[in-house]
Amino acid sequence: MENKQSSSPASFIDSTIVPGDVVLDLSSMTNQTIKLGGGLRQDCDVISAMKAGTLRFSKPNKYWIESSQKRYVPCVEDTVLGIVVDSKADNFLIDIKGPTLAFLPVLAFEGGTRRNIPKFELGTLLYLRVVKANFGMNPELSCTDASGKAAEFGPLKDGYMFETSTGLSRKLLSSPTCPVLEALGKKLSFEIAVGLNGRVWVNAASPDTVVVVANAIMNSESLSTAQQIIMVEHLLKNIQ
Amino acid sequence: MANTWRLTLNEKNFIKTALLSEIRLDGRKPFQFRNIIINFGREDGSAEVQLGQTRVMGIVTAKFVQPYRDRPNEGTLSIYAEFSPMADPSFEAGRPGESAVELGRIVDRGLRESRAVDTESLCVVAGKLVWAIRIDIHILDNAGNLVDAANMAALAALMTFRRPECSLGGEDGQEVIIHPLEMRDPVPLIVHHLPIAITFGFFDECLVVIDPTHSEEAVMAGRMIATVNANGDICAIQKAGGEGVSQRVIMQCLQLATTKAADITKQIKAAVEAYNKERALQKIKLEPTCVGTNVKEGQDQTLDDKGISELVGKYMERLKLISGESYTSQNINDEVETKSLRLGTDSHGIKFSSTPLSWDPYSKGVDPEFLKASVASQGLSSANKKKEWSGEEKPSEAQRPGSYKEVNPKSSAVDASRIEMQMIGPKTLKDAVKPKNKRKKKGSSVI
Repeated sequence: MENKQSSSPASFIDSTIVPGDVVLDLSSMTNQTIKLGGGLRQDCDVISAMKAGTLRFSKPNKYWIESSQKRYVPCVEDTVLGIVVDSKADNFLIDIKGPTLAFLPVLAFEGGTRRNIPKFELGTLLYLRVVKANFGMNPELSCTDASGKAAEFGPLKDGYMFETSTGLSRKLLSSPTCPVLEALGKKLSFEIAVGLNGRVWVNAASPDTVVVVANAIMNSESLSTAQQIIMVEHLLKNIQ
Repeated sequence: MANTWRLTLNEKNFIKTALLSEIRLDGRKPFQFRNIIINFGREDGSAEVQLGQTRVMGIVTAKFVQPYRDRPNEGTLSIYAEFSPMADPSFEAGRPGESAVELGRIVDRGLRESRAVDTESLCVVAGKLVWAIRIDIHILDNAGNLVDAANMAALAALMTFRRPECSLGGEDGQEVIIHPLEMRDPVPLIVHHLPIAITFGFFDECLVVIDPTHSEEAVMAGRMIATVNANGDICAIQKAGGEGVSQRVIMQCLQLATTKAADITKQIKAAVEAYNKERALQKIKLEPTCVGTNVKEGQDQTLDDKGISELVGKYMERLKLISGESYTSQNINDEVETKSLRLGTDSHGIKFSSTPLSWDPYSKGVDPEFLKASVASQGLSSANKKKEWSGEEKPSEAQRPGSYKEVNPKSSAVDASRIEMQMIGPKTLKDAVKPKNKRKKKGSSVI
């Protein structure tokens, strides 16, 4: 699962840290490039934490802090669910639950030209990818993947969207599959889109399936694997 | 701008289509209320109601004012609703917005027009001094249907509020004395009935739901709030704009509201009752050895928790008996007077005033003779009791047989409970210093 970094004696990987903790000492690691994700900051020779949460490491050299909040901090390459708030000449203004509204360029669609700009009604739900996310600037989004293909991005039709914490969305996207989704998938058939900004969209053939899935996911946040399975069984029993 | 809650088209369409199959987002049926939890604060007159995720707090306070000129014999009731910014991103601090004013008005109309709170009993000196009751409603969390939750919070707070007792006195008999809370028990308000607000949300095609959530409120086309009480009286109706609704639907809603109001009334009353019980229990625990009891030291107390709660339960029954369900002072006066006569003590030993909870022996001090008489004649079969009375002095014994037959077993159980509380409570220095025997000989002196 995790690798204890042999370079630092007291390794904080996968343990809880609070803002101000010194996580890595760069003077002891020479000639290495490390990538810092969210919540970490470089102060001269040390890397210190800015957020409270768990320190994570992924090979070969990426460190970041994971925590669960209702607020979303935009990060590059995240997939999020956004709601169209306004449309301007060059951009759509999208709400992604971040500190500011995000811009979706009108051309950021597969085969998008000035002639076939899509028309989105206010309140349309879109599945998007974050392209640029710098501090202080409005994030930029796109409806294509890195190579320019549509790849499932774009508007989501029908279904129901609800909001969760960022931790729960990460759990839903983790692999192996989250237990609640697995338990639900065994009995029901539904379509689901999870945004890392704490929004989840569910669609199914009948409304009560959608309601059961939504409620099961919302309830599963603080439950352990076994409890989640029991909860799902309970809910399914009620509708059958 | 980025932090407001937004409704998606998907959600809007889904709520409407799901309602066509009678399914709501949280799995409720269209005419089902969310879970109601009522909690009370430490002080009298503060209540917090949770209706699903919606949380509202109600606080009741009272002060003296001059009455209105056209109603010199009545107290006043006023309601202030505050939408705290922590409840919803769209609430702003400062002047109440339109919905806050509307909420305050609906709760106010339900209580005032139906005369749920008896304002004439709030008069102290006609034309000069009356009690002004002020209800503050704070919205703590908005998850839809604030009006119903606010109304419940106001009612729960009103039912547990107690104002200080006051009487006329002084040299010229015109001075108003407010008795401090330690001297005389504060007095509850007289609430004749509970007007419950029920909100209905209307969607297209005659779809109606009860108790809409936040998302449903954003999607619904119109709403109606009916304030009814458990007796079936319609206290108020509010329908401000929104989609037009046929007369048949309105009548159905009103009938449904009456049934729901009965359930909610039961719930509120049960919560208030539990609170009163807790309060009485706390009071008993606070005064463990008030006056020298007739208990010999070294008695083994075999009462366990079950026994205590049973006794407290009997004490509560006694209070209920005194207060009755209708809360009118007339009945209280009669009942209480007869009790004092039956117990066979001097009538001035305990002064009863016109309201139930001011029958508090500690305020006037306890007459040990009275206690002995009542305790001795109670029907409890615990061996302790028999043992302790064996050592009684002779003069008081003569009194007791007479009072055996007349005493109401319930009332005596109350005193028994209190005595036993005293026995169980921690011994203070007083007990060590003053031997109990001396107290018995003092006679019926009242503190």
